[in-house]
Amino acid sequence: MRFLHFSLFILFFTLHGCATKETAPESNSQQSNTGITTTTEPQEENSNVDETKEESFEDEFEKEFSQNEEKETYDPLNRYNRAMTSFNDSVIIYGLTPVSKAYASIFPQPLRLGISNFVHNIQFPIRFTNNLLQGKFQNSSNELERFIVNSTVGLAGLMDPAKHYMDIHPHEEDFGQTLGHYGVGPGFHLVIPFIGPSNVRDIAGITLDAYLSPLVNIRGLENYKIPQNFGESVAIYAVHLINKTSLHLGEYEDLRKDAVDLYPFLRDIYEQKRDAEIGE
Amino acid sequence: MNKQKREIMLTKIIIVLCLSIMSLYGIEEQNIQKVMDTKVKQVLNNLKNKSMSQSQKDQKNVRIIDEVFDYNTMAKISLGKKWKTLSNNEKAQFTKAFERKIKHSYLDKLRLYNNQKVNIKKLKKVKSNRITLETQVIGIDDTYKVIYLFYKKKQNNQWYIYDVELVGVSIIQTYRKQFSEFLKTKSVHQLIKSL
Repeated sequence: MRFLHFSLFILFFTLHGCATKETAPESNSQQSNTGITTTTEPQEENSNVDETKEESFEDEFEKEFSQNEEKETYDPLNRYNRAMTSFNDSVIIYGLTPVSKAYASIFPQPLRLGISNFVHNIQFPIRFTNNLLQGKFQNSSNELERFIVNSTVGLAGLMDPAKHYMDIHPHEEDFGQTLGHYGVGPGFHLVIPFIGPSNVRDIAGITLDAYLSPLVNIRGLENYKIPQNFGESVAIYAVHLINKTSLHLGEYEDLRKDAVDLYPFLRDIYEQKRDAEIGE
Repeated sequence: MNKQKREIMLTKIIIVLCLSIMSLYGIEEQNIQKVMDTKVKQVLNNLKNKSMSQSQKDQKNVRIIDEVFDYNTMAKISLGKKWKTLSNNEKAQFTKAFERKIKHSYLDKLRLYNNQKVNIKKLKKVKSNRITLETQVIGIDDTYKVIYLFYKKKQNNQWYIYDVELVGVSIIQTYRKQFSEFLKTKSVHQLIKSL
């Protein structure tokens, strides 16, 4: 069904392309006709022809870029999201960044990288399951290989020999992407405090991921989980966040500078990025 | 009055001159991969060079990317349909402001990612006048996909970059959305100022 839509879409655009190609010279002649009727200034005629040339060139880009804009973002929680974005923004700038800077000055980079690798490795069940669910069997088996190698030779996942020596790279997949893969739309955008931009589909995804992640406590699954209560989960998340930020200092502040208006900027970036990840 | 006219004329001439100089560059189709590879290497070498000051590095890097980045087209696309409603003067002002914005943003990012390795992955011809070049930036703990989008200029058959996609996020698309939202409530002049 998705393929049908896709091919119809392409067909539509190729046909559309043909149509504009044919009409282009026509509009050209029309333009020069009007140029002739006002013959007083021959220069103007020239610029008219130039403009139509430019127009068809612009139209091509216009089509290319407006394709992705057709789905107007449905954003019923705009006001809440805006407020939450500026809250998260202050948390990052006045809390997370200074703390991560101090943290980075205490712990050497190799150690921080080790922690980052460890957290990534232990979340293997999420990637493995979602690759499987999307029918990406080769990726799942790569993930399994990575987990076995990195958990043993890589000292419980602190190091990543699978990537560096065996050239087996991770395949990031989560439940949000699996849902997207099977055609579930994003729903409306929702900014989560301390976590950041998300949407209905991805929140459902995060919830399902939490069951698989050994780093989030779930009542009844204590044997499988590292944290035994909510407080411990939060502590692990905080350390992970600080550690991750310490490896990417200045990036958020830099990204933020590109924004004319922060909330829609971060929202669009998030949605574009997720669409790209789902499409992979 | 006359003086004003002359000044306008002069700026027009300068703009035209700048444009014609710009269009001398660009890349030929068969060279895209090679040229981009050397450009990326040059930029990375500049960033790693400890004998140069930051502003010297920036200058050098700007010169390297100027040859392939078509800022005029980027500015046009980013405004979308609104572009046609602008006066020539506004167009010139906007393009200038936008070019500065893009350059600064790009240089800031380069400054952050100075210890990274870049692999050129694959070149894909999407259409007769569109090519994408996929590259992979290897960071400390992650790898990022960066795609350069080229178009062919009819006038000289050379290829120019009109957009860059960082981990699936199109830079120009992001500006487009922001600008269109901004212009719903505010004027083009305010936009130029805010850039």
